[in-house]
Amino acid sequence: MTDNHPFGSGMFQGQAKFVDYAHMNQQEVQVNTLDEPVLDTLLRDINMILYKLSYVIIPRMKETQGRKLRNWDLWGPLLLSLLLAMTLGINSNQSSDTIFGTIFIIMWGGSAVITVNAKLLGGQVSFFQSVCVLGYCVFPINVAAVVITFLQSYFGFFLRLVIVGVAFLWSTFSSLSFMSSMMNEEKKVISVYPIFLFYMFLSWFCIFI
Amino acid sequence: MLDNLNQDVSILQPSLQMTDSQIQNRIRQMKMEDPDDQTCYQKFCNLFTIEYYREYFDVTTELVIAKVVNAFNPFSGTFFDIGGGIPELYGPFWILNTLIFTTALSVNIIKYMQLQPGEHFEYQFQIVPILTIFMYLKTLIVPMIYRVALKCVSQDRLTLLHCLTIYGYSAVVMIPISLLNSIPNPAIQWMLLVYVLFAQTSFLTSNFNQELKYLPKEKKYMIVGLVAVVQITIMILYKFYFFSSINYEQLGLVKKRTTTHLLPHILGAN
Repeated sequence: MTDNHPFGSGMFQGQAKFVDYAHMNQQEVQVNTLDEPVLDTLLRDINMILYKLSYVIIPRMKETQGRKLRNWDLWGPLLLSLLLAMTLGINSNQSSDTIFGTIFIIMWGGSAVITVNAKLLGGQVSFFQSVCVLGYCVFPINVAAVVITFLQSYFGFFLRLVIVGVAFLWSTFSSLSFMSSMMNEEKKVISVYPIFLFYMFLSWFCIFI
Repeated sequence: MLDNLNQDVSILQPSLQMTDSQIQNRIRQMKMEDPDDQTCYQKFCNLFTIEYYREYFDVTTELVIAKVVNAFNPFSGTFFDIGGGIPELYGPFWILNTLIFTTALSVNIIKYMQLQPGEHFEYQFQIVPILTIFMYLKTLIVPMIYRVALKCVSQDRLTLLHCLTIYGYSAVVMIPISLLNSIPNPAIQWMLLVYVLFAQTSFLTSNFNQELKYLPKEKKYMIVGLVAVVQITIMILYKFYFFSSINYEQLGLVKKRTTTHLLPHILGAN
């Protein structure tokens, strides 16, 4: 289990070509990125997030192609969970803060519980990688929530059901390839079922709000 | 040492043989009981490692599915023969969570169906924490009651974890019932409640019966009676707390009653 640095792999690491004038060698060293323009830092992180999202949007069943997802970071899941919680909280006038809190807790708590479950069943899954993947795969449900919120008047109940259903299947399928590659053949279904339940729970929030 | 361990245990019922991870845990415990070998961290923080709990999650998909299918059958009494009768926590935990989800869903569906034309639907999710507390407390306390009762009749083969496992799996019957409970017909709801009561109680009693075969009749009936009473209490709480907000008159299913005050109160119309 190789974990990257726990405080975000993208934020504080950088690489630059360093020309050693004394010995005229080119070395790659870790340069602290405090001197670079803020735009560079932000763009690098945004690129990383978009790159990972492309893996979610086009779910790949082969495990080798999902390997890039192992450079975990928690910025993406944070942004997605904030977006989802805010979108679902906008609609209800009275209890928007409690809805926000509930969605936030369910997303992070649910990811933690699913990961601990997978570890207890004997999978070789790193904690933060798994939380990262589960967080990124909420993206389709996010899209569905935004679509439903802003085009509410045009949608009846059944159309909402269809949209959220598609988003839910998409989310589950995306996270399947990563999670099931970590477990034994005989334990795949029981480690994937909690993920199914988790996304179903979030999806029903989207339908009813 | 391994062979001796298994030999001694196999004199008892085959349903109490230990799996590999249980044996490894036992060996580790025996090693660690030597105080010189233990560091302070090992003595106190063992509870916080994942390896400590791994023996309770030693399941495969087939095993879980077999147990769930068995739980739907109220008369077989063969629950403890599946997979060697080893207690586990995976099944009860996720069945509980599924149950919480389906009940919350069902309550919200009922509320959605009762919407007046001009009202905006508010998703009632305050029920989720209450449901969680109810379900988790139920699953922790009731097996303790069973274990105490079994200890009173000096039946020591079923440990607390066995009781927890079987109680957790017996709740599977409630999952489809809680979904069907969203049908707003009072007759159907009562029929479903009676069915769940019957199915769950008879599943538990027929399984306990297997272990209690050699006891005199009074003690057996005491245990069976206790199981039934506890189940009835829980079901009634469940039905009247979570599904009480159904306004049958509003849904047009029941004619308006203008006579007594008692009847609307029982039907839950506030």
